[in-house]
Amino acid sequence: MCELACSYRHFRVINPARSRIRVVRLPQEPVDSPIYCIQCGLCIGACPFGALSRDLKTGTVKVSFEKCTGCGMCVHVCPYGAASRDPESRKALICDLCDGDPECAKICPEGVLLYLDPDDAAAYKRIAFSRLQRKEVTPLKPDAR
Amino acid sequence: MMLGGKLCGYAGKILRVNLSKKKVAEEELKPELLRLYLGGTGYAARILWDELERGVDPLSPENKLIACTGPLTGTLAPCSGSIEFAFKSPLTGIFGQTRAGGGFGPRLKYAGYDFIVIEGASDKPVYLSVIDGSAEIRDASHLWGKTVHEATHMLIEEVGDPQASVACIGPGGERLIRYASIMVDYDRAAGRCGGGAVMGSKKLKAIVVNGDRGIEIAKPDEFYDAAREAISAVGRQRMGLGQFGTVGGLKGLNESGALPTKNFQTCYYEKAEKMSGEELARKYLLKRRACLACPIGCGRYVWVPAGLYITPPHEGAEYETVDMLGVQSMMGSLEPLIRADYLCNTYGIDTISAGNVIAFAIEAYERGLITDEDTGGLKLRWGDADACLNLLEMIIERRGIGDLLAEGVKRAAEKIGRGAEDFACHGKGLEVPAHDTRGTSKSFAIQYAIGNPRGACHIEPLWAGMWDFSGSGLGLRELGLPWPPPSRFEEVGVRRGEACRLLWLYGELASILGICRFSMQGGEDEILTPARLSRLVSTLTGWELSPRDLLVISDRAYTLKRCFNVREGVSRKDDKLPKRLMEPLATGPTKGQKVENLDAMLDEAYEALGWDKMTGKPKRDKLRELGLDDVAEVIWGA
Repeated sequence: MCELACSYRHFRVINPARSRIRVVRLPQEPVDSPIYCIQCGLCIGACPFGALSRDLKTGTVKVSFEKCTGCGMCVHVCPYGAASRDPESRKALICDLCDGDPECAKICPEGVLLYLDPDDAAAYKRIAFSRLQRKEVTPLKPDAR
Repeated sequence: MMLGGKLCGYAGKILRVNLSKKKVAEEELKPELLRLYLGGTGYAARILWDELERGVDPLSPENKLIACTGPLTGTLAPCSGSIEFAFKSPLTGIFGQTRAGGGFGPRLKYAGYDFIVIEGASDKPVYLSVIDGSAEIRDASHLWGKTVHEATHMLIEEVGDPQASVACIGPGGERLIRYASIMVDYDRAAGRCGGGAVMGSKKLKAIVVNGDRGIEIAKPDEFYDAAREAISAVGRQRMGLGQFGTVGGLKGLNESGALPTKNFQTCYYEKAEKMSGEELARKYLLKRRACLACPIGCGRYVWVPAGLYITPPHEGAEYETVDMLGVQSMMGSLEPLIRADYLCNTYGIDTISAGNVIAFAIEAYERGLITDEDTGGLKLRWGDADACLNLLEMIIERRGIGDLLAEGVKRAAEKIGRGAEDFACHGKGLEVPAHDTRGTSKSFAIQYAIGNPRGACHIEPLWAGMWDFSGSGLGLRELGLPWPPPSRFEEVGVRRGEACRLLWLYGELASILGICRFSMQGGEDEILTPARLSRLVSTLTGWELSPRDLLVISDRAYTLKRCFNVREGVSRKDDKLPKRLMEPLATGPTKGQKVENLDAMLDEAYEALGWDKMTGKPKRDKLRELGLDDVAEVIWGA
């Protein structure tokens, strides 16, 4: 649903292939995970054409459509697969947090995606981190028969 | 409305695949037909009506299998991750349709097609790859014989796209088990009516789809607002259906005396607590899972981590499966049930039909109609989970008595004879699912006899108990739904026929528009009422369609499907219930309830539907009113 909302917001079309957030489902494991850009900025330095910069207002990575050649270097350096290429324009597709009002967080029916100020975010992050520890006591796969 | 040369809400194309000639071709959707049928199984019913000859053998190359989506499929409309398959059913010999969730429908549209029409039959195993608007028939000899889970995994590796969606058959479909399912994205089943056997007869192992094409919206802002509103409404069901899944309702149904047990002998099960959704969540649930664009998430990702019934994680154990495979045979524990469900999924057979057939076999064994000799020494008893699992394996392998049971309960009962027909629970050959004509609502008596074009089905067109059992108006009151509803046990004189008709026409919209019925069942504030659907469809396609317009479209599709069956020879004499479903219930809160006035109830329904009471055919005037003059000529003569 976040994927569809993202493509609607930016291109006014329903097309998950043009979404900046992508959900990964591992069929053999209990994992459904939305992968999105954490705005680390690794790609900014990697772009050979200077098409990426830090947006001073929102703090996000900004793509200059004029300068982007679609070389894919940002995709190459992104550790999470959060940067991708738009199948239509062939230019970089990097999250801009919808100018500080992310559509994906608004539409997520499960309340998994949250857009918060740092005070609240820290509390949620602590909870999320604690959950990670649970996996170590619960085996994920049964013994093969 | 067209935008950028594309129909809004549609991919705009049909993919026609001829497996005999190994040819694929593209066709444009016909806008004039879309205005009449909108899409989904309505549009597909028209294709099947036009292109199938009367009396075609469902397992022959002449039968066609249509994968269909609707305009809402894969959009932001809630619960739109839907795919329907339409074909002539090898189980019932009449119109067959079957639905699955997952991501196949949406991804088919993103690949550039609304429909895939599969014709002919291949001489060797093949699969169909539809990626980004290019389709190819490829060799599948290495996949033949593989289970659903193996084949799906191999195909995703082979096409090299982890997000691709796969619809495939398991060994069940290859062996032409008449209730073989088409499995989507590993564990989502298009189970009913034997679509898997149709694919098996065509030697089509799988269809793989994905794409990066988008769906245009006629009025983006209005549509988005409508979708947001609809999502938050339907999302209210998360606390119910989402929390414990469909099986969460099991305990409540049991307390109301509406939980079919022991091959429909009773509607009350003492050990229901042990089979409940709460028990499942406590012990076996790893995670909830949703289909694409669903705010509810009823999917249960479950496993049995250790013990005799160890089972790998998979999506399963929904209410129908738990009741039909577990409660009917009185397994008394969820562990063997989860294992049985997994076997059905990975070998690709329908859990409802399989459960029904197994319960039937146990009863036949108890009565001495089948013996140790038939079962190869297997002793079938109520509550013996291991015997059930063994029998299930025999069916999957078509071994011994399993070969006969793989033909469905109707054919099995006919072969066994000696009164077996009396407790073989099917409607037109389709095994009766886990809602009862006596315990749940009398509406199901009408629904199983005539309500669904495909035979006895609880959820298509709609779960008929919504009106009197659940007491929801479904937003249909302003469209003429009789209100307030009567007691669920009253039979005639309570406008049951009229109410059922409206419920069916409303439910039919799900398979036309390409959404899940769970977004249409519940209180008025938590479902896609006709008003919400009208807003979504109108803003998406740019065609102004009022709730009434939508009901006319679904009436057309629904009536056409009936006409398809009439052409195949169905008449009023086939609109009946098995004896078992009319007999008094043996125990529980609804003890003694029976169906007494089926004919009178049916008369009311025929009247409401505009069907002829003598023959069961839709009346000529009715057909003309719907613009089906050509159909009327075939049904009634020129």
